[in-house]
Amino acid sequence: MESRIESPLHASRTLTAPPIAAEVRNLRLKFPGSPELLFRDLSLQIRQGEKVLLLGPSGCGKSTLLQVLGGIIPRVNEVPLKADKLIVPYSTGIVFQDPDTQFCMPYVDEELAFVLENLAVPRAEMPRRIEQALREVGLNLPDAHVPIGSLSQGMKQRLALASALLLEPDTLLLDEPSALLDPEGRRVIWEAVRAVSDRRTVIIVEHRVEEVLHWADRVVLFAADGSILADDAPERIFERYRAEMLRYGIWYPQAWNDAYGSEQRSTAEAPPSRIARTLSGQADTPNEPTALETWSGSGSGKSAVSAEAIQPVASAVSAPSYAYAPSASASGEAAAVSASPDRAEPLLRLDDFRVLRGGKTVCAAASAAAYPGDLIALTGPNGAGKSSLLLGLMGLLPHEGSCECAGGRPSGRKQLREAAAKHAAFVFQNPEFQFVTNRVLDEVLFTLRSEAEAALRAPRGGGFAGWLAPRRRARLDAVAEAELLRQSEACLERFGLGDYAERHPYLLSLGQKRRLSVASAIVSDKPLLLLDEPTFGQDARNAFAILDLCERLRASGHAVLMITHEMEIAERLATQIWTVEQGKLSSVWQTARSRDDELRLSEGGRG
Amino acid sequence: MPFFQPSRITWLHRANPALKLPLFIALFVLTVLTHRIDASFYLACVFLLLLFCASGYPLWKTALLASGFAVAFASASLTMILFGKGSEIWWSFGPISISKESFYRGLHVGFRSIAFGSQGLLFVLTTSSTGLFYALMQRIKLSPKYAYSFMASIRLMPMALEELRIRRDALAVRGMGRGSFSLLRVPELYALPLLAQSIRRAQRTATAMEVKRFDTGKARTYFYASPVTWNDAAALLLLAGAATAALLLAHGLPVFGLGDMRMDP
Repeated sequence: MESRIESPLHASRTLTAPPIAAEVRNLRLKFPGSPELLFRDLSLQIRQGEKVLLLGPSGCGKSTLLQVLGGIIPRVNEVPLKADKLIVPYSTGIVFQDPDTQFCMPYVDEELAFVLENLAVPRAEMPRRIEQALREVGLNLPDAHVPIGSLSQGMKQRLALASALLLEPDTLLLDEPSALLDPEGRRVIWEAVRAVSDRRTVIIVEHRVEEVLHWADRVVLFAADGSILADDAPERIFERYRAEMLRYGIWYPQAWNDAYGSEQRSTAEAPPSRIARTLSGQADTPNEPTALETWSGSGSGKSAVSAEAIQPVASAVSAPSYAYAPSASASGEAAAVSASPDRAEPLLRLDDFRVLRGGKTVCAAASAAAYPGDLIALTGPNGAGKSSLLLGLMGLLPHEGSCECAGGRPSGRKQLREAAAKHAAFVFQNPEFQFVTNRVLDEVLFTLRSEAEAALRAPRGGGFAGWLAPRRRARLDAVAEAELLRQSEACLERFGLGDYAERHPYLLSLGQKRRLSVASAIVSDKPLLLLDEPTFGQDARNAFAILDLCERLRASGHAVLMITHEMEIAERLATQIWTVEQGKLSSVWQTARSRDDELRLSEGGRG
Repeated sequence: MPFFQPSRITWLHRANPALKLPLFIALFVLTVLTHRIDASFYLACVFLLLLFCASGYPLWKTALLASGFAVAFASASLTMILFGKGSEIWWSFGPISISKESFYRGLHVGFRSIAFGSQGLLFVLTTSSTGLFYALMQRIKLSPKYAYSFMASIRLMPMALEELRIRRDALAVRGMGRGSFSLLRVPELYALPLLAQSIRRAQRTATAMEVKRFDTGKARTYFYASPVTWNDAAALLLLAGAATAALLLAHGLPVFGLGDMRMDP
């Protein structure tokens, strides 16, 4: 280890430019156990007062570089590195990505006091400085002694910023501080950062750059191998390297337009203002069958054909889309049904459905339905009951009222759970929680095998056996096993995981884990897919990949119901928008997009 | 209002935890060294009473928490009553034999477990973890390294519980609840994802703490003072008085009138 750590006060004696805040020259760094160098002779200089944004694909080493510049590596995290010159700022404050793991004390004031204690600030001075720090980041709490757990994620990040400010840093380092926040949280955290950053040096690593771009002085763009691709003013970077950014999965302001085209929205969609109004919860009638009638009148047979053309692998695994429609006779709500007669049966119909938690209603849905070809965006503020609704639909929470699942009407929680297990796939937010085996291939195989075994056990002719019948008469002999194995491999191939079949699921990248969790959920071709914030915290590339997946499923006659905070999804892809507010499904709004609409893929997913 | 928040503040709340802890340890020792059933009976009664009066929690909450003592009492005393040795057999059936000695020894063990439980719960209900660690750091020079690690880990526990719930749901969705082999795999199925998440989280928290210049070697100040006040004297008097009262009652007003439980009663 030959690095020399100098203090910036002695490092630069040039008077013309501002002094150097941080510098690395010919940095080489390698994580123990990884075969390759993360950086090979990287040099970067940051001057005092500069606002620098580090951009690059996932895994290119941006966060590591930030930690080197912040003096965390090698002081706190011991990673072998070598540099001809390494200047780190005299004092730094850091805000990390995860709002839940930056605090060690239970209360807001105690957490901030922890910093002051470390600095040996006298006790008498602490309350004043705590109050001041909270005011600076716009956290106006009447009493600072509130549990950190009661704050929203955005407030927690502002608290993290406040505790960084108490260190009186000349350099602020931000390691994706808004990646795990909803749009409102993102807005306020960046406002707070801007408000406190005026003369400080600010170094930012971030995938979502909309809020950062217009006040950053400089953008450093990294290539996938950890070398610097470009280092320039933001405008010029975005002129020249837009293609790279799309490829790297950076959420730049036009990412949605570049991925889906800007014209689509204007031709087909409802006025955004209307959607915005619906989402903010004002005044729309709970159900609008008329909108559906208007838009989905034509070409309902088309999508099944196109789906088969698009998904050759899928069609080997799955039955054609209309096979899901059960033969039970239609009942009630004729308005919606009349719109597309040949796929009249909803996959899911809620009627005065209430999800209970601890005996109390946490989410009530008066009336809503999901049909084949639906992509439903389930939106609403945090804690409104969106996740509870999904858990209730899966029969994981007790419920009251009626939830009709592909024609059946399960009465109790257990029956609903069984019906849901047959008809619906659920993808949790953290994919790791869903993995049950030690090999990627087994993960997919597990689903197929347990379904096949369940089908064997099921009494013939009763219940849902009729639905399972066209797929396979599962006898788990060698032939059936070989067939399941073949299906699993085909499924992995389709999800771009073919090369990783032998790996442990935990060793996949974030995007791959997410794809695997979706793959293992839908491999047995359940008609209804429920997802809990599938694009949350993902870079643009992973997010679009997931959306393409959902869109392909939708177009092939599945129904997709996803919780999301991303308004762009609601506006560009959704056929229905369900809004949950204060424990109630407050509006069900049919967008202008019909269920028979053709496949709408992102730019990268079309090839 | 969270469940674990006292509705009244008593002397015991205000006492310095660094002094209260040795006091309660002394009470534990006293309870362990009690060998007369009358003394253990009155200790159980007095500290149960003190628990209801001085914990600062409403009656129903204290009763709810104390209801666990019934289980402790039953499990501790029943084994002794049913399987203990003795000469004066009252009733026997197969391996079970209830003798006079085993019966009273069982009750004695049960009373002591109630006394233990009341003392422990009284300490826990009147002491906040933050207050305890601040007192230990300032009064008996506990290393901040351990104190803050403990406080941070307390913060992480509800998150791990929440994840346990999510994992349970996820396994139900994947259909892992079914089949006979799944019971054997339970530890593996839960341990791997929860540990992976917890280790990551702990590592991140540790980094965040060091970045905030947490350095165990340096001098530090404390947000909460931990003074010794007259409340400590009051708490001392209260606890010592309670213990003395129990012992005096056992001497003057014996219920069972039996001797040392280690010998033949």
